[in-house]
Amino acid sequence: MKRWALLLVALVGSLSLGLWGLAAERIEPVTVLMPAPFAVATRDLVAAFNRSHPHIALSVTRGPMETEAVSDLAISSLLLGNSPYDLLLMDVSWTPKYATAGWLEPLDPWLGPNALADLAPGAELGNAFGGQLWRFPLLADVGLLYWRTDLMEAPPRTPAELVAISRRLQRDGRVAWGYVWQGRQYEGLSCVFLELLHGFGGEWLQDKEPQLDSPAALAAARWMDDLVRTGITPAAVANMGEPETLRVFEAGDAAFMRNWPYAWAELNKPDSPLRGKVAFTTMVSEAGHPHAATQGSWGFSLLAGSKHKAAAVEVLRFLTSADAQKQLNLRWGYTPTRLSVFEDPELLTANPALEDLQKALAAAVLRPLSPVYAQLSDLLYRELNTVITGDRPAPTAMRQLQANSERLLRSSGGPR
Amino acid sequence: MRWRLWLLMAPALALLLATFAAPLGHYLWLSTQAQSVLTALKPQPIGAEQWLRLFNDGRFWQDTWQTLRFSAASVSVEMLMGLAVALLLDQPLRGRALLRTISLLPWALPTTVMALGWRWIFNDPYGPINRLLSGLGLAAIPFLSAPSITWIATVGADAWKTTPFVALLLLAGLQTIPADLYEAAALEGATPWQTLRRITLPLLTPYLLIALLFRLAQALGVFDLIQVLTGGGPAGSTESLALYAYLNAMRFLDFGYSATVMLGSFAILLLLCGMAALAWRWSLRWQGGLR
Repeated sequence: MKRWALLLVALVGSLSLGLWGLAAERIEPVTVLMPAPFAVATRDLVAAFNRSHPHIALSVTRGPMETEAVSDLAISSLLLGNSPYDLLLMDVSWTPKYATAGWLEPLDPWLGPNALADLAPGAELGNAFGGQLWRFPLLADVGLLYWRTDLMEAPPRTPAELVAISRRLQRDGRVAWGYVWQGRQYEGLSCVFLELLHGFGGEWLQDKEPQLDSPAALAAARWMDDLVRTGITPAAVANMGEPETLRVFEAGDAAFMRNWPYAWAELNKPDSPLRGKVAFTTMVSEAGHPHAATQGSWGFSLLAGSKHKAAAVEVLRFLTSADAQKQLNLRWGYTPTRLSVFEDPELLTANPALEDLQKALAAAVLRPLSPVYAQLSDLLYRELNTVITGDRPAPTAMRQLQANSERLLRSSGGPR
Repeated sequence: MRWRLWLLMAPALALLLATFAAPLGHYLWLSTQAQSVLTALKPQPIGAEQWLRLFNDGRFWQDTWQTLRFSAASVSVEMLMGLAVALLLDQPLRGRALLRTISLLPWALPTTVMALGWRWIFNDPYGPINRLLSGLGLAAIPFLSAPSITWIATVGADAWKTTPFVALLLLAGLQTIPADLYEAAALEGATPWQTLRRITLPLLTPYLLIALLFRLAQALGVFDLIQVLTGGGPAGSTESLALYAYLNAMRFLDFGYSATVMLGSFAILLLLCGMAALAWRWSLRWQGGLR
């Protein structure tokens, strides 16, 4: 009888001791929402983090594939309040909107004043807004002009050269089309246009005023229109996004393609018919104007509603570290954002294209930083799409676009 | 006596109020507020400004026209084809059970999946249809890149998916018609056409009306098919009212205006329903007067 009592005391004692120990340990959960491809790519890094940080339990929520679908998911949860996420992997174009809505926590106090010091030129763009840092970039993405090394000696550098090479190759029956790009009514079209706009010497906004009826903007729109009308670009481009353009180019049906760096890995896969026959450069431009590359980087933002901010910042530091970026490049070919990673000798031998990517990144141009950017872009790609389908002449469309953009910015008090 | 009736209806009424009247009331209030990313999502009263904006918004009226056009075309096609399929499946054919199952498949597919499928079928130049055309030496059809064609493509995809739904409803209706009516008609020497006009269609009318109502309500709120298949393009030619309201809320974070767009389309719907009901009553009275 006595022995039983002793055993009971021992049992209760050890149990409560164990529970107290667990409570003292306090494992902090951190949840990150990422688009599906990034969630897959960071799986090893997340496992490594959880091994080396026993007091934090990091889990990644695998979001949808498509950029805007990820935003919809994040926004739905943020609107309900009490979002289950601590960190969000954000597209560059969302930052001002999310920051103005009050959903993000400024990162300056967490990361210190020199947070952006190691970033490669071009990668530092689009992380700050209104004088505060809202996002730290994980991967850089820039618009590139892909060209076929088996069809020409050197890539075109001006719009006229691109047209001339295309015409010659089409006349000789080497390719069905000259140049494919994203012309669908969606964000990708704004990215394509931004590069041309800068290449013709224009700008989207200047001193917070839209410049879309400027001679340069009109010339850029006209050039797109002419590409389609003269058959250098297929009319089907009016419904092409990135995958559709890649399909045409990969099938060998076009001499040039505008796309993001992910296409480089796709085109150099072992079973790709174009393996070793492709190179990339920056977009064509008129003499004296920049060869621009639309920046489309992804970065982490800390949510204002997070209850584990310190732990989340630790995760942010780990996942964007030079080591992590190096692994992401080696294994998945993602473009880094840190200068030290671009200059890593081991990476440069493994991935010789890195140097060209760094050059393209240095030519990066940013879409307007405005909380109403989504509306501005919606106006732009909708109107440009009517030019591409041939439903509206370029001058009329650009005048309309300018008027609509002015009205939007006036009613919203201008971009802050 | 009366109060007991109300008491019994109370749970249903409460449910209706909570799920229908309350959101509607909230939207009415929201349409008098500026609540957007620029107000840091805090509501600020602005009176009738949103409604003025809606009235002057060419895009809203364009989308209204496009939604009505889509609904009228797709529902007409679906009713006609659904009736034909139902009549066919009602026949004593061999393998009828299998046929019925197969014909239901499109409806069982999630809209997003089937829209992605159609996006590939309509692909220019690599989709199956355009491949076939180019094999025959014909020009490709720009299914999804020409405004005058794309809206018809959306109607086609919608009809493919929802014809089985109409067919199913009408088939259920067909099976409630007593067989002896047909026997009597056959004995009297009625032609199949007369049988259809005088027996099948009149007795099927309640089912036709139900199918019409369901389909119209769904078509007027079309969203997922359009979002996946065209994204509203090309040149905004397939954007529906629901898609526009979604863009305003989820992309632009302009909740005040999104609510106004929703209410605006609701008002147009009510107006149309009211006109249809009046027309129906007048046509009945007119017929009655003739007799």
